[in-house]
Formats: sequence, structure tokens, C-alpha cells
Amino acid sequence: MIQLFFFLLIGAALLSSLLFLSRRGGSRVEGDSGVLLEARRALDALQGGLLPEELVRRIFAKDDLDYLISMAAPKSVRDLFVVERKKIALSWIGEVRRQISSLKRFHVGAARSYARLGLRTEFKLACHFAALLVGCRALRLAVYVGGPYVAPRMVGTTAVAAAKICAISEESLGFLNPVQLKPYAHNSLPS
Amino acid sequence: MISSPKRMDVEQARQDLCRRTLSEIQRPLDRLIYLASMRDYNTGVYHHDGLASRFTEEVACEALADCHREAFRELVICPLNELVSQLDAYRSSTHTNPREFLTAWGRLEPYRVAVPVQADPLSAEFLFSNFKIALAVLESQLDSRPAGLAA
Repeated sequence: MIQLFFFLLIGAALLSSLLFLSRRGGSRVEGDSGVLLEARRALDALQGGLLPEELVRRIFAKDDLDYLISMAAPKSVRDLFVVERKKIALSWIGEVRRQISSLKRFHVGAARSYARLGLRTEFKLACHFAALLVGCRALRLAVYVGGPYVAPRMVGTTAVAAAKICAISEESLGFLNPVQLKPYAHNSLPS
Repeated sequence: MISSPKRMDVEQARQDLCRRTLSEIQRPLDRLIYLASMRDYNTGVYHHDGLASRFTEEVACEALADCHREAFRELVICPLNELVSQLDAYRSSTHTNPREFLTAWGRLEPYRVAVPVQADPLSAEFLFSNFKIALAVLESQLDSRPAGLAA
């Protein structure tokens, strides 16, 4: 009797696991327009708002600090500048990471349904994603500790890597490509 | 999606606006403030009677929005020293007392309502941050001047 109860319990547990897994798989609808729109928005935010070369250069260029030093601005003004610029630099890194993570979710979950990416491209993309997300964390730590001008090369590498991911993602999302949503696109960093 | 004839109309209206009005306003900061003042704060719709009479209300609105975005972009990538000069020149053009101007701008932050609706949030924050620093620079310059000149 106890054995029967035990096997029934195992059976019920297995059945409920199967039900849970099948429902979970079903919720990841491969044609979900929400995933597509989220990815499209992430791509537009990156290409239009975060990656234009001029903006990245302005945020991380030392010219403005040099200007304050050259005009002998009071220490309070220079301190305010460093605090403000560091805040913006950290926001930029965080936002790039957030949008890249959003694109990664799209590629992991749904890209195969919409794009015919080759195995090699997918592998390349996976490597880019991994490198970029780790790079963003490292850059964030560097800027947090050393300020906005501590790692200019890392900033450049991050921006170029993000632009590469955008270029590849653009292929997958090409069919959702409204012309008016790309105000800065022509100024984006080269892929 | 905007159809091509309409886009052409908007482009023509934009050129007309640049030629007749904006060419007279040299500084991007002044253009940003002027174009923001053309926008109804309740609806976000831009109005310009002259432009609307030559084109249509809708085309005029689109052209003004385009120019507003352009002025915003110019200002976002503008170096700090230029922003300080522009802010100082704008302050002079208003004929207000420098101290009062800096206090009002520091407290009210009017630049926050001068950005286009579709502005990228990070770019907008970057511009606000630069305004804050530019105001601090002007204030420090004012403090270092002799009392008679500061007024």
C-alpha cells in the first residue's frame, strides 16, 4: 500500500513537471510580437541614442575637463563636473548593457523564427554578446573606481562591439525597419 | 509611415523655416528655446502661423519638430566651453540681471522643458548635466568679478 502511494506520488510529480515544462515552453511564443518590438526598440535606442560617435566622444572626451582646468575654475565647479560626467558615463554603460541584453534575449529566444542566420554567424554573435556584456561590467567597474576618463580604449572597444551586434541584429529585424525611427542612424559607429 | 510627397512638403517647409527665420538665430541654444516656445505644452503640437499658411498645419508642425530635434542634437554634442558662451550670450540678450538669471535657471531648470518630446533620455540627461555645469561656471565667473561689474 505504501509502495503504491509512493509510486503514485512520483507519477503525480512527474506529470506536474511535464505540465509545467510544456506550459513554460508554450509561453515562449516564437512569433511573439512583443519580443520583436522590444528588440526593435533596443536597436533603435542603441543606433539612434547611445552609439552615435559624436555623443560617445563628448561623454568620454577630456576636453571639457581641460577647459575647466585651463580657465582655472574653482575646485567646487571641477568636482561638480567630475561627479556629473561620471554619473552620465555610468548611465551610458548601464543603458548599453541593458539594450544589448534585450537584443540577446531576442536572439536566444526568437531570432531563428525570423532570420536565416548561419551557424557561423550565430556563433560569432554569441561570442560578441558574451564579450560585450563582460566588457560592460569591466568598464562600469573601471569608471566607478577611476572616473569617466580612466579607460578610453575600453569605451571605444565597447562602442564598436555594440555597433557590430547592432549590424548583425539589423539583418534579423530588417523587416521591422520603419525609416522614421532612425534619426541618428547615419552617424552610428562603423560596424 | 510618411508618404514621400508629404515628406517632400516637410522638407520644403523646413528649408523655408531655416531660410526665413532660423538663419537669423545663430546660436543652437537660442534656436532650441525659440522652437520649444512654438510648441503647445498641453498637446505637444508645434504652431507657426506663417509656415502653416504657406504649407499646412500638419506640415508646419513636422518641419518645426524636425528643426527642434536638429537644434537639440547640435547642443548635445556641443563642447562645454561653447555651451557656456552660448548661455552667457543668451543671458545678455534677455537683459536680465546676471545673478537673477543664474538663480532662476538654477532653481527652475527651464531647459528641462525645452527638449523635444522624442529626445533620447540619455542625451537629454547629458544636456541637462552640461547646463548645470555651465551655470556653475558662469556663477563662479560672476563671483570672481568686481562687485560693480557683476551687476
